[in-house]
Amino acid sequence: MLFTIAWRNIWRNKRRTLIVLSSVVVGVVALIMNDSLSIGMIRQMFENQLGSHVAHMQIHKRGFNDNKVIQSVVPDQKRVEEALRSTPEVKYFSRRVVTFGLVSSAINSSGAAIIGVEPDREPNITIIKKSIIEGRYLSGASHEVVIGKKMADKLSVGIGDKIVGMASTVSGAVGSDMFRVVGIFRTVSSEFDKSYVFISLGNAQEMLELGKDVSEFAIILRDRGLVEMVKSKIAARLGANYEVLSYADLMPLILAQMQMYKESMFIVYIIIGLALIFGIINATLMSVFERMQEFGVLMAIGMKNSRLFYMIMLEALVIGVLGTVVGMVVGLAMYLPLSAYGIDLSMFSESLTSFGVGSTIYPVLTLQSIVGILIVIPVFAVLGALYPALKAIRLEPVSAIRYV
Amino acid sequence: MNIIEIKDVEKTYHDNGVPVHALRGVTMTVERGEFLVIAGPSGSGKTTLLNVLGALDTPTKGKVYLEGEDLSTKSRNEIASIRLHKLGFVFQAYNLIPVLSALENIEFTMMLRGIPEKERHERAMALMEELDIAELADKRPNEMSGGQQQRVAVARAMVNDPSIILADEPTANLDTKTGANLLDLMQRMNEEKNLTFVFSSHDPQVI
Ligand SMILES: Nc1ncnc2c1ncn2[C@@H]1O[C@H](COP(=O)(O)OP(=O)(O)O)[C@@H](O)[C@H]1O
Ligand SMILES: [Mg+2]
Repeated sequence: MLFTIAWRNIWRNKRRTLIVLSSVVVGVVALIMNDSLSIGMIRQMFENQLGSHVAHMQIHKRGFNDNKVIQSVVPDQKRVEEALRSTPEVKYFSRRVVTFGLVSSAINSSGAAIIGVEPDREPNITIIKKSIIEGRYLSGASHEVVIGKKMADKLSVGIGDKIVGMASTVSGAVGSDMFRVVGIFRTVSSEFDKSYVFISLGNAQEMLELGKDVSEFAIILRDRGLVEMVKSKIAARLGANYEVLSYADLMPLILAQMQMYKESMFIVYIIIGLALIFGIINATLMSVFERMQEFGVLMAIGMKNSRLFYMIMLEALVIGVLGTVVGMVVGLAMYLPLSAYGIDLSMFSESLTSFGVGSTIYPVLTLQSIVGILIVIPVFAVLGALYPALKAIRLEPVSAIRYV
Repeated sequence: MNIIEIKDVEKTYHDNGVPVHALRGVTMTVERGEFLVIAGPSGSGKTTLLNVLGALDTPTKGKVYLEGEDLSTKSRNEIASIRLHKLGFVFQAYNLIPVLSALENIEFTMMLRGIPEKERHERAMALMEELDIAELADKRPNEMSGGQQQRVAVARAMVNDPSIILADEPTANLDTKTGANLLDLMQRMNEEKNLTFVFSSHDPQVI
């Protein structure tokens, strides 16, 4: 019966209730959009880095990740390969030479990460081959190079043009070689496209006097979720001379960013929550003051303070829950198509690609966000009713009855 | 037996620091089955007295006993419970909860007492039949005339079988005929059910 009363009281002043309700709905929709866009963006950033270079796992000589010197090579490739082949969770792996140097055309030069890859195996690991927009991927033939669009622009080169790569060799001399541009790629990260160039493993080994040595193994698992388990299994097998790193170890920044985002989300919740609280306080105060006389009668006929308090809170809770549910439905109705087709932000894509997100964002709504919103908003609504409800029950019935 | 007994009750209000003696040393008893009118012109302290009798207000001085119990020793919640179980109220106006139908208004105090839905529904319906207001059952207060509202208020005040019903100028907002009908109703209940009524009026015709 109290619920019935609360429900009917809510609709006594339709306009006021609709205003409060729509502010709750807008708040919920805003939270859904903000959450899903930000999470989608970070996920995309994460996936892009994973897909363009990092892979699920990497194996190096111990210390390589902290200090990527060319002398730091995988001690025993056979051993690593055996370990990988006998691990069923490993789907693909590929060997790489990784170094940093200079690439130059006749017109310009640029610092670059020069990566020697196995042209037949690397496409299983990264999306570079799929990201080629001009020309083709490395064929395995000698002295081919694939560069990013940004790099091509900077060096003013196109397909068929020659560029020179330069980097220090194992012996400390300067190794250099001439390469023909066979492909130009574009990923969603202009930063990446500006700084990575790919040549064949053999060319890299030759240029850097590495012999048959490689810097790293990049690995894709059947199930990314198993990475920590596989990592410790392989690490145990390989022993102390190797470092086996998961994508989480390799991308600490982006994970820190995710964490940071979660914390900043808290602030957004508070801001939206405060706006809602003030809306609810205002509306509830008005409706409580209008009904002082009625409350006096209720108290006079024997309604306990606690019950009256509960009734007022119930009204706010019902508005909060109703608004949250409606907001959730509206939010999901907006979110679902957006998550399927993405939001084209090419207007701002210049800045987004430099973050490595891409110009189309696919929002991602997590269960955590949904549950968070479903709990937080009604709680804020109830908090907003606290003050008016306390005010109502502090009233003496006689003065309330005389109120009018 | 005395239902209510008050002794040397004084009530002084302070109106901007000026003391207003609304009650000066009232001593009275109300016995079961009485049908008592507190008469007096406006401002004579009728409402104040009824509020003191109904534990809605506490006297500045003096004691109020309800069925032998000293009300000044009770907590706010205990007083609420006493009002719920032992007292019935009819006010001058705005008695009913606007969002509830007549039937639901009558059921409301039974709900507060924790009486199961079916029983309270039946009891409320039976009482409405008895008071000839059954056709108002589904009407909201704003769909009823003043007289109808006051009848429903009387029904609500009666439904918990209170020891006493206190009515502060229940006819003040009604026309003479409707007011007389309401008084007839209360008097009939007083005679048929031995219900105790104390009500106030400033209207000599009523008295
Ligand atoms: N809350 C109050 N504050 C100050 N004076 C009051 C208050 N309530 C009643 N009074 C005064 O007490 C006197 C009695 O009032 P009341 O009991 O309402 O009389 P009645 O119901 O007979 O009209 C009046 O003079 C009135 O002005
Ligand atoms: Mg009065």
